[in-house]
Amino acid sequence: MPSKTGIVFDIQRFSLHDGPGIRTTVFLKGCPLDCKWCHNPEAKSYIPQLSFDAEKCKNCFECVNACPNNVHQIVESNHVVMFDECKLAGECIAVCPTSALEIIGINNTADEIIEIVLKDLDYYKNSNGGVTISGGEPMAQFNLTKELLVRLKELKIHTAIETCGYSPTKKYAEILHLVDLFLFDFKETDEERHKLYTGVDNKLIRENLEFLLDNNAEVILRCPLIPGVNDNENHFKGIAELNKKHPNLKRIEIMAYHNAGFAKSKKIGLAPFDSEIPTADENQKQKWLNSFKALGVENVSIG
Amino acid sequence: MNEQMKNPLDYTGKFSTELKFTATYKKYKNAPTAFREAMCLNAEYPDYFSPVKDGDLFAGRIEHGLVGFSPDEWGSTAFGYYCLFDKLSDEIDNLDDTDELKTDLIEMLEFWKTESTSSKLRAAYNDEMKAHLPSDDWMHDSGIAFPLYRLTGANIDFNKLLKIGIPGLRIELERNKIIAKQDNRDFEFYDAAQIALDVFSNVCDYYIQEINEQIGNVSDSNRKNELERIINSLRIIKESKPRTYHEAIQLMWIYSLISDTRNLGRMDIYLGDFLARDIDAGIIGEDEALLYLESLWKLIADRNTRVHGRIIIGGKGRPNIKNADKFALLAMEATRRVKEVEPQLSLRLYKGISNILYDKALDVIAEGATYPILYNDDVNIQSVSKSFNFDAVESENYVPYGCGEYILEHQSFGTPSGVINLLKALEITLHNGFDPVSKSKMGLPLGEFKDFKTFEALWDAYKSQVEFYVRMMADHEKLEYEIAGKEAPFLFMSMLYDNCIERGKGMFEGGVKYLGGTLETYGNTNTADSLYAIKKMVYDDQKVTAEKLLDALDSNFANDEKLRHDLKSLPKYGNDDDSADEMLMKVHNHVGNYTRDQAERVGLDSYLVVIINNSANTLMGNSTSASADGRLAFTHMNNGNAPSGGNDVNGPTAMLNSIAKPDTSIHAGSVQNMKFSKRMFTEHRDKLKALLNTYFEKGGAQAMLTVVDRGDLENAMKHPEQYRDLIVRVGGFSARFVELEPEVQRDILNRTLY
Repeated sequence: MPSKTGIVFDIQRFSLHDGPGIRTTVFLKGCPLDCKWCHNPEAKSYIPQLSFDAEKCKNCFECVNACPNNVHQIVESNHVVMFDECKLAGECIAVCPTSALEIIGINNTADEIIEIVLKDLDYYKNSNGGVTISGGEPMAQFNLTKELLVRLKELKIHTAIETCGYSPTKKYAEILHLVDLFLFDFKETDEERHKLYTGVDNKLIRENLEFLLDNNAEVILRCPLIPGVNDNENHFKGIAELNKKHPNLKRIEIMAYHNAGFAKSKKIGLAPFDSEIPTADENQKQKWLNSFKALGVENVSIG
Repeated sequence: MNEQMKNPLDYTGKFSTELKFTATYKKYKNAPTAFREAMCLNAEYPDYFSPVKDGDLFAGRIEHGLVGFSPDEWGSTAFGYYCLFDKLSDEIDNLDDTDELKTDLIEMLEFWKTESTSSKLRAAYNDEMKAHLPSDDWMHDSGIAFPLYRLTGANIDFNKLLKIGIPGLRIELERNKIIAKQDNRDFEFYDAAQIALDVFSNVCDYYIQEINEQIGNVSDSNRKNELERIINSLRIIKESKPRTYHEAIQLMWIYSLISDTRNLGRMDIYLGDFLARDIDAGIIGEDEALLYLESLWKLIADRNTRVHGRIIIGGKGRPNIKNADKFALLAMEATRRVKEVEPQLSLRLYKGISNILYDKALDVIAEGATYPILYNDDVNIQSVSKSFNFDAVESENYVPYGCGEYILEHQSFGTPSGVINLLKALEITLHNGFDPVSKSKMGLPLGEFKDFKTFEALWDAYKSQVEFYVRMMADHEKLEYEIAGKEAPFLFMSMLYDNCIERGKGMFEGGVKYLGGTLETYGNTNTADSLYAIKKMVYDDQKVTAEKLLDALDSNFANDEKLRHDLKSLPKYGNDDDSADEMLMKVHNHVGNYTRDQAERVGLDSYLVVIINNSANTLMGNSTSASADGRLAFTHMNNGNAPSGGNDVNGPTAMLNSIAKPDTSIHAGSVQNMKFSKRMFTEHRDKLKALLNTYFEKGGAQAMLTVVDRGDLENAMKHPEQYRDLIVRVGGFSARFVELEPEVQRDILNRTLY
């Protein structure tokens, strides 16, 4: 049977923050949610896309001539990129002298991914680490994700997936036995606000979380906190209730907002999230921790 | 003696010791060399020793003069009977013409121009060496290879010295003299060595007198006690073997200074038992033992040997592991407290070593000490055995000295007396025997780049170029030993090197058990990455012609930004990419094996490359044109066996996988700098250990860890005054970051930080 394929936008070795030990994290492209604060906006779209880094551009305009689709234009001596016109011809990248242009996302087979993953096998073994499949949303490229998980378990490698929880429950059921650790996002307790900020409601997400916990999956709840957006009492209480209801929930990790997504949005021609929101500082993080402790949540940490 | 000569004792005042030394040498010029050396040692010592300073808990400070005797006086240019010509010339220029001293100094300078050991070595060069090794100034001149003049890296048998003491050495000399006489062999060595030991006694006497004078002016009773303790130890070591930890350190330290051997070897073996005995007997407490070490560490730092001062702890083959571990922990604590550039504390790790030691090492490194440097016995013992052809048990006694060259403690010797810039060899090859930097002919003309129709043809030419210089460097090394052997027995070193006393010979006249040599290679990674780029772009994919590429290199990519970008974008060593890593190994295996094969030809027990560093990558890079890996002209080259700056983009696991690939059994040492943020040592300690352990399991030989954040370094460049204590690993040595050249600072910044 031929190896499954999918669109990968990064494979990060020596990943220390997405599960235990030394890990390799495979980032798959495409996500069903549309979170306003997304810090990986390049992972939203399911297909490869052009990225332009204005900081690196030296205005040589070689790309203007090279592109068959007029994506690159000179407007008042400035380099303007018409992202919607891009057909991924790749001609501009071949002539760019500074790597200001690149295509994000390549088609990889499971074999290719496993080959890279295996390079660090000894490090996983010595550190109780393994492989994390992240995204985007790995459940959205289910065939590839499942094949990767099957292969990794055959190789006796610890597996984790980082998921937003928005995928049919039966798919989670299908991979339940293949995943050693779920890093499960929970972004907002209030249904309306959830829909407002992520584009979907959180009903299915809650159901899937319950399903996993009821089936004794190992779950770490990951909660992105964005100052002034979802760091409210109601949401904290919601998290505390979940924690109380499910004693087998391993831990809660606060994923403090940082504004790296801002620059990345610009590179791919997306309107960025409110740039006024600052990256959360230590002070802020400590406040959040204290709020949770006040609600009786002890197993919480900064992720 | 046909000339009127001043009595050496008539000299007083400035440079009197230099003049006395010179007169003594002249007087004994034609005497047996051992005797001449002993008399010259007597002329320079104790004069070149200097007084005990406030706070010193041991006697022993030295300031060598401009003329004297040393195995390695000035790093790379003066050894044996040396004269520091440049400094002496400056001194002469500063004197008034009517000053009588000026005439004497000029006469002295002229004398040593032909009589110094370095000069004799230079004069012995054959025509080919004279033509192709025109310069000794490797720091500034453009060139493929340069000879160095030094007999450096001796690791003498301190363990024996401390066990039998000076009297024991005298007995051994006497006993062997009788045997030599019975066998009708020469016995000057023994008589001369006895004189040398008299000089050692004189040094002790000098300090006893000097401290006695000091004590009169000391009111503090603690300090008085400290000084009296030094005097007591000096009295003991003159006449008996040391009994206590303090006496042992005092003996070791003065002997190290007087022999001018700068690397202190396996200190936990030779001091561990003294330490444990004194603590068990209640003679000293652990706190006091630590204070002694801190004082010793400061004396070593003040001696400022720049790239030496190695102390080895840990490792297989320690007879009393418990005592040695006790000492090793104390040594690391001393390093944590003193935080100096020297000593270069080095910990030999192996599977099964105490975790307490390993964790202590990481704690000390985490505090920014850059020490201990970690060595992996599980790889190195086997590698040393294979590369030097020593048996496995002998190889347990390997020690890294200086910038990281291995020898067997008190059994083998292998001075690094040559440097080769592989990237320059490639540059000259691409230019058909012409150096675009000095605009002159250089090396071998082996054909135009464009006429090499295949990559293999170019590779063959590069190999021939490198081999031509490696042969000359091996010849130089052998010649250096021959001249050294003819000039002097190097008594103090030889007395504590195996076989010399039995044979009645100095190390370099047939005394030493194993006589080897080492050649420092630089630019290895840039060379491999450049060859890979040429192979891919010019030959495999034919994206650029040889002419076009050469033009771009010659113009430092002035109009070829895109080409440079493409070259830089190609796979590079250090990313766990097999194609790039294989080229590195091809370069590595070639120069390693070819160099090793020279030993038999020139008649040495070994001749091996070392892939070390000491800022030569930066200095030699300054006279090397742009290279096909995209490196700009006159910028630094890679450091040791590391990827070139910033080119390892796949993270530390990939980098470690790459650097563990090159064969460790064809060289005499290879260094790996790695920088980590402090968080790796605190928050992620377990992961760091797993990372290092995996690297060591994969064949990693060595790791020099620096803890620093990039922001720290950038701030240090902007506000040097606030970062005066920031020590970074430069390569083979550590240095205060703010004292480094801006280019070197940038190099360090560019090395990837995890």
